[in-house]
Amino acid sequence: MVERAGYLPGLAADTLHWRAETCGAVEVLLPMLAGEQVAAIARHVRDQAQARLRSRPVGQIVDAIDRAIARLLDRQDPYRQRMDDLLPRVTGYNREMVRLGLTGYLKTFRKPELQRFLAEDFANPAILDDFQPLAKGGFGRAFGPRVLAHIWAGNVPGLPLWSLVAGLLVKAGNIGKAPSAEPLFAGWFAQVLAEVEPDLAECLAVVWWRGGDVAPEAALIQQADLVLGYGSNESLGAIQSRMPVAKRFLAYGHKVSFAMVSAAALDAAKASATARLAAYDVARYDQQGCYAPHMLFAERGGAVPPQRFAQFLAHELAAFERKFPRRPLTMAEASGIAAWRHAEEMTPGGEVFGDPDGAWTVSYQPEDSAFRPSGLNRTIRVVAVDCLADVPGIVAPFKALLQTVGIAAPPRDLFRLAAALGHVGVTRVAALGDMTAPEAGWHHDGRFNLLDLVEITEIDGRAEAAADRLASYVD
Amino acid sequence: MDYDAIVADLLTFIAADAPGDAAFDRLALQLFAYQFAHNQPFAKFARTRGRTPRTVKSWADIPAVPINAFKTLDLTCCAPADAVAVFMTSGTTLGGLRGKSYHPILSVYDASMRRNFAKRFMAGHARMDMGILFPTTAMMPNSSLAHYLNLAVRDFGTPGSGHLIGEAGIDFDRLTAELTRAEATGQPYALLGASFSLVHALDELQRRGFSVRLPEGSRILDTGGFKGQSRELELDEFYDALSRTFGVPRSRCINMYGMTELSTQFYDNGNAVCPSVKSGPHWIRTRVVNPLTGASVPKGEQGVLAHTDLAHFNIVTTILTEDAGIETDDGFLLLGRAAGAEAQGCSMAVDEFLRAAGAA
Repeated sequence: MVERAGYLPGLAADTLHWRAETCGAVEVLLPMLAGEQVAAIARHVRDQAQARLRSRPVGQIVDAIDRAIARLLDRQDPYRQRMDDLLPRVTGYNREMVRLGLTGYLKTFRKPELQRFLAEDFANPAILDDFQPLAKGGFGRAFGPRVLAHIWAGNVPGLPLWSLVAGLLVKAGNIGKAPSAEPLFAGWFAQVLAEVEPDLAECLAVVWWRGGDVAPEAALIQQADLVLGYGSNESLGAIQSRMPVAKRFLAYGHKVSFAMVSAAALDAAKASATARLAAYDVARYDQQGCYAPHMLFAERGGAVPPQRFAQFLAHELAAFERKFPRRPLTMAEASGIAAWRHAEEMTPGGEVFGDPDGAWTVSYQPEDSAFRPSGLNRTIRVVAVDCLADVPGIVAPFKALLQTVGIAAPPRDLFRLAAALGHVGVTRVAALGDMTAPEAGWHHDGRFNLLDLVEITEIDGRAEAAADRLASYVD
Repeated sequence: MDYDAIVADLLTFIAADAPGDAAFDRLALQLFAYQFAHNQPFAKFARTRGRTPRTVKSWADIPAVPINAFKTLDLTCCAPADAVAVFMTSGTTLGGLRGKSYHPILSVYDASMRRNFAKRFMAGHARMDMGILFPTTAMMPNSSLAHYLNLAVRDFGTPGSGHLIGEAGIDFDRLTAELTRAEATGQPYALLGASFSLVHALDELQRRGFSVRLPEGSRILDTGGFKGQSRELELDEFYDALSRTFGVPRSRCINMYGMTELSTQFYDNGNAVCPSVKSGPHWIRTRVVNPLTGASVPKGEQGVLAHTDLAHFNIVTTILTEDAGIETDDGFLLLGRAAGAEAQGCSMAVDEFLRAAGAA
């Protein structure tokens, strides 16, 4: 059976045109939508959300998502089986890596995690259901957009789930444009949600068009109250240029991340475990996610010197390659790595450890500590520094591009470094080994996932007193 | 081997008729030993790959230097100050660094150009009326293409031939006058230039509603691609437009593939079908390799082009390009630039990082 991408409530099946495209190694039917069709879906989703979602207590929405996630965590579930079968073939990522990654990821969307998600942004999540007393006086209620548009990007399996769940929790009608690199996941989630909670089936949609196709994107922007966009600065800039001034556009651009290893983590007993954790962050999804490290700053002065640590890291990457081989690369990607590796080799003092087939590369640089992105796909630059406290200064020029830092350091250093890193734009500090798996409720790029989506309607404190004067029972 | 013997051998080799595999190998190994001895950055590069005159047994063993290295290293056997010409890349890539090729003499470069150009472009004509859509060497002294086109017009053009680009850009009035005159003479005419200059010419001539049917036997040579200097065209669209505007059939629209990092050019036999097969003369050879391992890919599979150009004797013979290609029976298909991949996810590749960091 040929898989169909998307989830298109409100459009008659006989009006749809499908086009077969090869995504990775899988033939997928993608819906070819005209601008008017996208607008019709957006209106449908808005009206259905108005009727069925906006008056529903947030607790019930949490329950529905929790049931959908439970289905997807069940390895016998047909949708989960399709994910396990097709996502590795679409993206090229190792099958076992995808399976383990999906389970770990989906677990962050179960009921307790969703409650944490809500509590993170709302002191009192009931503010999504009804007017709640505000600290300054008066009452407030949070309203999500009637239509929330998502323009997703990238091939890391499951990424659209973050914003889709956030949109549902704030009771928005959701319409998302699936990424061309992995167009299936979002539609599957929508179908499972529709099965476990038919009443919500028409409140969300997943559409697709070819990148650069202006008409459907313009229609989506026109119908949306709020647009979330993911992608490169170039593609976000293109969306931004089409946004009406009064409409909000939340842009999540591409980011870079890095790791820091203190001398304390480089004693004889801990260094190889530290290298294993770092290698995991490098290998998982082949550094395609913004939270994956491009560089690793290793502090001098430990029993294991940085150069030796780079060799440990090379050893661990070799082990990962045997267990979870890297996905096949395009010629452009391979050429990109080759160019990066040659540049690293040419750097004075540099030493490059690599697998003969190029499956991974560690570049060790004792003299040049400049912040440079890696060649991606399991390549990393290890830089020796005298003191980790020097690192924030090295990365400061790239403030707008920084995201996660994975740190292996004792507690006092963790907080001291986190403060200095926060000053230069880092928005997440994680343990080494956890870089690529953000916890539930994390602040993506330092922002509020839910709070950024809502507007508060407030009842001025004095309005209550004024209303009192008009009560039938006034004395 | 000393410098004079190398140059003499090379000129003899270039002038020879089909000297054969063994002769190519012998000269390639001599050049490798010469460059290993006199070009220090190259010797260091070769040693890191375990390639020395002792271990390199055939031309295909010579380590291919990535073209990026030309930007940061002075890859030359002669002292840079002794070069009579320094050809530089355009520096349009990020960082603005320009790759440099030092030439202590130009006689080898010129011999390579002339023999190959006569065979592949002139096709039997000793001289033709020529118009050049590219700046002169006086305007661009570091451009290998300017030098190449100067040679073309000097050694293969009729007395009236010349450049149609001045300090103010393309002289369109002169271009249309020249084309009209050529149409009237009935003698074959050759229009040569950068691909993007030809696009500018096409756009302006279309705006003026001008077109000609150049006489039978006329030819067009384009080179270099569009490089963001004109609008990007599909190849079919480009050659159709050339054919329509100048009346030259696509089979006589020749694309030259050359690089600053080489002293020899590749040509196709016209662009009736795109992509066309490119090939070079007997003193240059091409391998299609896996860029990560340097190993040749099986014939018919896509890889990155590595060229061994004996005429580039003062620098390095063997370079690793960033051009994707496929080996065919009589040459290779050029498939465009292989580098500059974006991340598939939300991370950043090098190019995007540099762009974003520059804008931040």
